[in-house]
Amino acid sequence: MRMKIDDENCTGHGRCAKYAPNVFRLDDDGYNVDRGSEIEVPAGEEKTALLGMKSCPERAITIVEE
Amino acid sequence: MNEDAPSAEVFEAPSHDEMIARFGRDLVNDFDLDDPAFNDKFDETLNYMVRKCPVVHSRVGRGYYLINTQDDVRRAAQDWRTFSSAKGYMPNRPEGLPYLMPEESDPPIHTKWRHVLNPHLSPRTVAGYEQPVRDDVNALIDKFIDRAECEFISEFGALLPGWAFFKNILGLPIDDLAMLVNGVEEGTFAPDPEVRGKYFGEVFAYLETHLAWRKTQPSRGDLIDTILAGVTYEGGTESPWAHKVSILVDLTFGGIATTTFVMASAIHHLAMHPDQRQLLLDDPSLIENAIEEYARFFPPVVALGRTCTRDVEVSGTTIPEGEFVMLTYAAASRDPRHMDEPEKIDVRREGIPHSTFGVGPHRCIGSNLARVELTATLEEWLKRIPEFSVKPGTEPTYVTGFLRSMRSLELVW
Repeated sequence: MRMKIDDENCTGHGRCAKYAPNVFRLDDDGYNVDRGSEIEVPAGEEKTALLGMKSCPERAITIVEE
Repeated sequence: MNEDAPSAEVFEAPSHDEMIARFGRDLVNDFDLDDPAFNDKFDETLNYMVRKCPVVHSRVGRGYYLINTQDDVRRAAQDWRTFSSAKGYMPNRPEGLPYLMPEESDPPIHTKWRHVLNPHLSPRTVAGYEQPVRDDVNALIDKFIDRAECEFISEFGALLPGWAFFKNILGLPIDDLAMLVNGVEEGTFAPDPEVRGKYFGEVFAYLETHLAWRKTQPSRGDLIDTILAGVTYEGGTESPWAHKVSILVDLTFGGIATTTFVMASAIHHLAMHPDQRQLLLDDPSLIENAIEEYARFFPPVVALGRTCTRDVEVSGTTIPEGEFVMLTYAAASRDPRHMDEPEKIDVRREGIPHSTFGVGPHRCIGSNLARVELTATLEEWLKRIPEFSVKPGTEPTYVTGFLRSMRSLELVW
C-alpha cells in the first residue's frame, strides 16, 4: 500500500505519527517529513496507517491507487 | 489540491416553526452565538445545525455567517485566499483592538511567524515539559485531596494550563495569572463590546510591559527572544513592535483560556459516567485516545472567523465578498457524515477526525502542549482520585460565545 502526504495541507497536527509511528515520521517542527511525496506502508502496518490517515483533520494523507 | 467534489447533498430544510419551538429563534436566518439559549442548548443546537443547516446567518451587529459541516469547514479553513484571516477572527470585533499576529494574518506574513514560533511548541519540545507539568498536576491535587472535595475550575482547571505555559515557555510569574485569566474571560464574554475591548486592553498593556522588560535582559534563547528577534516581511521590512506584542497576546489567549474547558469537561464526564471511567482505570493506555474524544466533543473554541475575499458558494448559499464567516469547529467535529453516533462520547472511538484545534494553516500552535496537559491531568487524577462524583445538589455552569467556558464544577470523593 502506498500513501501520499500533501505538502500544503500538512499543518503539523501530528496525529498520523501518533497512531502509526512506524509509518509516519515528524520533523523537528512536528510536520510529516514525507509531505509532498509518497511512501510505501511497511507490511503489517496497514491498519495503523489507515488509522493515522483517518485521524488527520486536514485529510492530507491519501491512498495512492496502484 | 482538493479531491473532494463540492457537496451534492441536499439538506433537509429545517422548519421555521420547529426552530422557534425548539430554540426560541430561527437559527438559519437569525443566529446569535451570544444568545443564552445557545449556551443552555449547546449540544442540541450543534447537532441540529450540522445535520440540517450547513450555513446560517446572524443579524447581530455587522452580521456574520456560520458554516457548519466538516467538509465545508475544512475546505474554507484550507482556502485562506478566499477566507482571509487578515480582518480578524472575532465577530463584531471591538473597535481599536489591534490585529493579533499570526492568527489574524494570511500567508506570507503568517508563514514567516509560524516558521519561527512552531519549534517552541513542537511535539519534541513539549515532550520535555511532560514531567514538570505532571509535577504541577500533583502539586495542585495535593492542596485539596485530603479535603475530599474541590471546586475544579478555580482550584485546578484554570491554573494548570497557565502554570504550564508561564513556567515552561513564557517565563511569566504565575502570581499574575489570575488577572490575565479574568482579562481574557471578560474580554471574550462581557456582554458589552466596549467592556470586552477594555479588558483586552489591560492584557495588552501587561504583556507589552513584560516584552519591553525582556528586551533589556540577556537573551535566554526562549520563545520570548524569538518574538523579540522578529521576522523579515516580504519586501524586506522588519516586523514592527506592535506585531511582536500582539503575538505574545495571541499566544497567551490561546495558552490560558482554552485547555481548561476540555480538562474540566473530561473530568465532569468521568464523574458522571463510571463505566467510561472504569475503562480508563483498567487500561490507562486508552487515555490519549480519550483525550481526542473529549477534545472533539467539548471544544473550547466554538468557531473562529474569516472574511470572504470574493463571492463564494457554500452548500448552496452564496456568501458575498466582504462578509464575515465563522467556521464552526464545534459543529464540524460532530458531523454524522464522518462518524457514527457523533452525539455519543466513547473513549474507545478510533480515528477521530475532529477540528477542535482548527484546520488549515492556522491550526492551534499549542495543540501539542494542550495534549501534554490533558494527558498528565487524566493520568495523575485517576491514579490519585479514582472514584469521584459531582457534589450532590450542584451542576456545572457554562458561558458561551465564540468560545465556551465552564465557570464552576463542584466535585466530591
